[in-house]
Formats: sequence, C-alpha cells, structure tokens
Amino acid sequence: MQADHAEDLASIREQARRLLVDQATPEHLKNLLNAPGSFDQALWRHAVEQGWPSVAMPEQVGGLALGWSGLAVICEELGRLTGALPLIANALTAHAVISAGISGHQQLLEDLTSGALTAALALADPSDSGICSPGAAKESNGRIDGVKALAAFAAVADVALVHGVNERGDGLYLVHLDQPSVKRQVLEGFDNARAAAALQFEQTEAVYLGGAELVSEISSLAALATAFEQLGGTHACLDMACDYARERRAFGQAIGGFQGIKHKLAEIYCLLEIARGCAADALDAWQQQRPDKQQLTCAARIAATRAYNLAAQENLHVHGGMGVTWEAMPHHYYRRARSLALELGSVAYWRERLLTDLGLESTTVEVGGSA
Amino acid sequence: MNHELRCYREDAQAWLAEHAPRYSGQARHGLSFDDDLALARAWQAHKVEHGYGCITLPREYGGAGESELKKVIFCEEEMHYDLPLVYFGISLNNPLPIFLRYAPQAWKQKLGPATVRGELIWCQLFSEPSAGSDLASLRLKAVPTEGGWLLSGQKVWTSWAQIADWGVVVARTDASLPKHAGLTYFFLDMRSKGITVQPIRRLGEEKDLNEVFFDEVFVADEQRLGEVNGGFKVAVETLMIERYAVTDESGYGPTLENFIDLASKARLNGSPALADGEVRARIAETYVERQGLRAIHRRALEAFARGQEPGPEGAIRKLLLGRTRQNLAAMALDLLGANGAQLAAHGHSVNDFARAWLDPSLRIAGGTDELLLNTLAERVLGLPQDHRPDKGVPFNALAK
Repeated sequence: MQADHAEDLASIREQARRLLVDQATPEHLKNLLNAPGSFDQALWRHAVEQGWPSVAMPEQVGGLALGWSGLAVICEELGRLTGALPLIANALTAHAVISAGISGHQQLLEDLTSGALTAALALADPSDSGICSPGAAKESNGRIDGVKALAAFAAVADVALVHGVNERGDGLYLVHLDQPSVKRQVLEGFDNARAAAALQFEQTEAVYLGGAELVSEISSLAALATAFEQLGGTHACLDMACDYARERRAFGQAIGGFQGIKHKLAEIYCLLEIARGCAADALDAWQQQRPDKQQLTCAARIAATRAYNLAAQENLHVHGGMGVTWEAMPHHYYRRARSLALELGSVAYWRERLLTDLGLESTTVEVGGSA
Repeated sequence: MNHELRCYREDAQAWLAEHAPRYSGQARHGLSFDDDLALARAWQAHKVEHGYGCITLPREYGGAGESELKKVIFCEEEMHYDLPLVYFGISLNNPLPIFLRYAPQAWKQKLGPATVRGELIWCQLFSEPSAGSDLASLRLKAVPTEGGWLLSGQKVWTSWAQIADWGVVVARTDASLPKHAGLTYFFLDMRSKGITVQPIRRLGEEKDLNEVFFDEVFVADEQRLGEVNGGFKVAVETLMIERYAVTDESGYGPTLENFIDLASKARLNGSPALADGEVRARIAETYVERQGLRAIHRRALEAFARGQEPGPEGAIRKLLLGRTRQNLAAMALDLLGANGAQLAAHGHSVNDFARAWLDPSLRIAGGTDELLLNTLAERVLGLPQDHRPDKGVPFNALAK
C-alpha cells in the first residue's frame, strides 16, 4: 500500500467513526429494528454526502479509486455500530458491470458511485443453504423467471445483481428492480434493519454480465468486504463484554476476575485476531491478484463468521439478564452476526468452497460405497 | 521487511542448504543419544564459526552481536531442517544470556565462550513439585554460610539436567517475606557435591526431563546473580529474554498436509473418509487457524523490525497450536481405526501422529493454556487478576 493511500484510509476511518457514533444512536438503531424492511435513509444520506459509495469505485465513473481496502475500512466501522448500508452491493454491482465490458451503463455507474442509486446482491436461493447454487432463477432470451431468497437492501434497491442459470450454466445478471414484473416480498425477521426482501421475477428483463467466473469473483469479494464488517462487530462485542465484566460485580469482585468469564473473553480475542489476520491476507491477495486469493477469502469468511457469532453470543451472555432486554445493545450484534452469516452462505458452504480450492472437492470424493 | 533483512534471510537459506544436511535428517538416523548430542555440539560450533551461533550475544563471547530479528529469521529457516537443536534450546536462550548480564567479568570469560560453542550446557532450575505456574511459591532454600550459601531442596521438570555442566537456580533466602520478595538467584556447577539428578520417564520416552535434588550444596556468594532477595526479578527477566520465540507452525507435530494425506487414504464405513463432514470441517478449521497465525506472525515481525515491542502474539500462537496439535493427532488416529493404536518404532512427533498425540506438553510447559488465557485477559483485555489469597502474606505464614 502506498503511504498517501494509507493516510487517506486513516482519515476515512476517522471520519466514518465520528459520523457513525453521531448517527447510529441506540434509539435510532432500535427504531430500525422495529419494522420489517427498514432502511436507514438518514445514515445513507450522510454516507452519500461523505462520498462513501465512491470509495472503491474507479476514477472514470467518479470514484475515489481507493480499492477494496477503502471499502474494507468503512465496512469495519459500519460493523462496529451495526450500521447497515448497501456499500458492498453498490461497489460490486459497478465492478460487475465494468468487468462485463458492456456499453451504455455510464449513467448507472455514476449513480451507483454517487449514491443516487442503491443496489442489492441477490445470490441466495430459497431451496439451498449455500449461495450461487444451481438455482431457482432461470434466464433465457434476456428474461429471468424465478425466486431469490431474502437479500439485504432488496426492499429498497434500484438494481440488483442476481445469480441465475441459463443453458450455458451459471450467470450473473443486472436487474432493474423498478420493473412491474419484479415482486419484492418484505418479511418480518430478526434483523429488520437490513431492508431485506425476497425477490420474484416473471419474464423480467435481465442483463447478462458474466458466467461462473464472475459469479465466483463477486461472491468472494462480497465475502471479503463482509468479513471486515464482521470484524468490526466482533471487536465491538469484545469491547462491550470487557467493559461490562470490569464494571459488574458479584461475590465481592468484578466478574471479569472469574476465569469462567475472562477465559471466555480471551478465547474470543484469539478468534478475532485469527479473523483479522485472515481478512488482511485475503485483502492483500486480491490487491496483488495472487492465485491464492480465493482460498484466502474462504478462510477470511469462515474465520470472521466464527468470531462474530461467538463474540455476539457470549457478549450477550456476559451481560446476564440485561443481555436479553430490548433496551441493552448486545442483541443488535446478536441479530447482525447471524444475518451476515446467513446472507452470504454458512460456514459449511465456505468450508466446501475452501476445500474445493485446495483440490479436495467433495464431488470427486467417491461417496456411498456398497450401501 | 527491509532489504537488509531480506538479504540476511537469503544468505541464511543458502548457508543452511549447504551446511545443514550433514547434521540433519539422514545424518541423524540410528544415532545413539550420545552420538546425537555430539553431532549437536558439532553443529553449534560450526554455526558459531560462521556467525550463526548465538546471533544476539556479544562478539567477545563468540556471539554474532546481531539483532533479535535476525535471530528470529535464522531460526525460522533453521527449523526447516531436522537438526539436533533441542539440547541447547534452554542453555543458549535463557541461562547463558542472563549469566552474561549479571555475572562477574572473570566468570563470564571463563564460561561464556565455551557455552556459546556448545562445549558446555546449562540447565534452568526453576520449577519445583509445589511451584509450577506459580514459580514464586518455590521452597528450595538457601541458608547463608561462610563465603556463600547452602542450598537444600528439590527441583523438577529440569530439561537436560543430566547432561548439564552448569545451571541457574532460584532459591528461597527469606521465608518471612511475601513469596516473591524472598528469593535469590544463583548459578552453580552441576557437579557440585550434594546434587543428585534423577531422570523422569515420559509418555513417549523423551529423555529431556529430570528431578534434581539439593543436599546442602555450597554455592559461593560471587555466584549470586542480582541482589539478595531480588531473585524473582532476575527469574522473570530470564523467561522474558526471548521476547519473540519462534515456534513451528504445526506445534512441532505433523503438518496439515500430513493430515490431508492420511485422510485421503482412510476409509470410513466403506467410503472415503474425506467425504465425511467432520473430517472436512477439521481440515478447514486447521487451514484457517494456520492462515491467521501466519498473518499474525508476519505482522509481528514487521512491528519488530520497526522497533516496537512484541505483543501477545506468542501467547495466542502457543495456546492455539498446543490444542490443535493434540486434537488433529487424535482425529488422525481415529481415521486409522483400531490399528491407530500402534506406536511406530522410530516415529517422531513431527512426522508421526501417535507420537505427537502422546506428547501434549506444549500445552503445559512454558505457561499452561490457562495461564496464557489469563495473560491475554489481563494484559490485553484489561480484565482483573485472579483472586490471590497469598498476596502480600509472608511465605512462612501461608497454608502449606
């Protein structure tokens, strides 16, 4: 990383942290959780003013060209306060359109960069716990039919990157969601603050952007950026739990002095550091376009998901009775850790992707025997 | 990492490629304990001659007078060979440097260079039957006598005491003070009258550990290192000398690749074991942990190169590797089925899962898992210390 780049990133981080502390107040976050399909319009407006959607975008569409490391910095800060913004979806939609090399989308790219438009990633199917599975959405002749599972920001987004299949196999499609043939179904969920919706397409116009390779690249990059959001959340949970363990007293001492508590928190610290190491290495591999970038991304996703789930769960637990109240903050992280784990596919799904990349594909393993 | 260090690493790699094979691998097969030890001494002397022995120690004693980072780099490269290093693991890294910091000049001249060259070996007499993790509760006593002290009591888990020529020892000189405050640090000739060394038999027959009994062993006062009753500070300093200890990324057990290889050949209910979700999950977990530890290590070395103090990386690494080595080995044995219970004749913990499983000492020696978790919780997360009922209480007033 160049030195001036590092300075830019540090000032973006500083700015992001200040803005989020101001805006993502407990009351504000609780309001968002109250209703299904909530989108944080206020925070998005501030983010747009600050130019966050443009951070990773290339200069020719008006971006700051700070690369995935720029996006990672903001995602980490967002994760710290359980903010929810479609920054990853905007960046990756633009990246996919640019990669596809198709003309006529300059305005769309500029709008995704400025934040005038928002995007969603619709990669999961209702019938499979992984993502980018053989699929319930099918395309032919530029029209797509079928359904996609709950996708963050799909309740409000203008466009979506949709995984589907056509006769040649996997495909990644650009779909404008304002078409009458698109049905968005908003459902009550445990993390209502992500503006999630299930999508249904019926002969919906869809622009083909690329095949399996692009699908793999986009889902990897989404996992990579999300890993930083998960890291931010993990760190916040650990800080919160340690603060509480130092303050809360029982049996004549701070509960953080009991090994049942302090060892639990030290274990989470180890998971956080492992996840941080994996995420940093994966980011570096993408920046250098190293051949191991896919497997390092799988490792980053697995490590970050593990760390955030445990940190969120145990932070709530350390808070005792307070942890299960609406008023206290741990449940925000408990919800978010799980929704981020589900949106892009479970640990088991990424484990299989990792092992496939290591040459241990499950389909090449002969299954069954003589049964 | 800067240019100078990169060059240093490349030079070390080339030097090792040329010299290490004569002292490692095939060259060690079938050697008796004495012959392996002789080979180890020869390797140490050879390194010293070429500026790779005792890299951080002053040149006047035969060291290379170089930075700690260069030592870390050389150790990383040296670890790729199966060299006979274990006999010097304690001697050169803890007792010798502390001796060179505190001993009178004449003694340093007398023992320093010979120890650096591997002709003398030192042991570290710290732990006792009632003082393991809690070192300061040790009982071996030193009573003043004319010109020095008489030491009586017992040490345990003393690595290589049976081949050691000299040792450093911590003894209790004043039991009326709280436990940390009444200790004094000495060095002594292991052939002194009144010392008895008894080997301890281990699970895997490793021949490293001993009990050492002291029966009124005379130690001259000029062999005291540090102040009277100031020994705890010197002991902690001894343990902290290696601010960043290099450890093998598989915890000196078989590698992940060894496990994958074994799993690829194993079958479970007539199917390939590699199709089993639990096996696949273990491979993924181990990969992820190793990747995270590699990143942590690299970042720590970069910080080290910038002149920053090492952080808690070493504790994380030892904690995770100790458990992973044990668990991965147990699963490997599971995959071998009933025949996994065999113990190959010449197996070694770095290439044999049964041997690796049979030696879980990485989780105990040099700080147990529990102690490392305490260290992380207290020093990094700022959580309170455990309740310590012996704090500030005179040692002789404590419940025995």
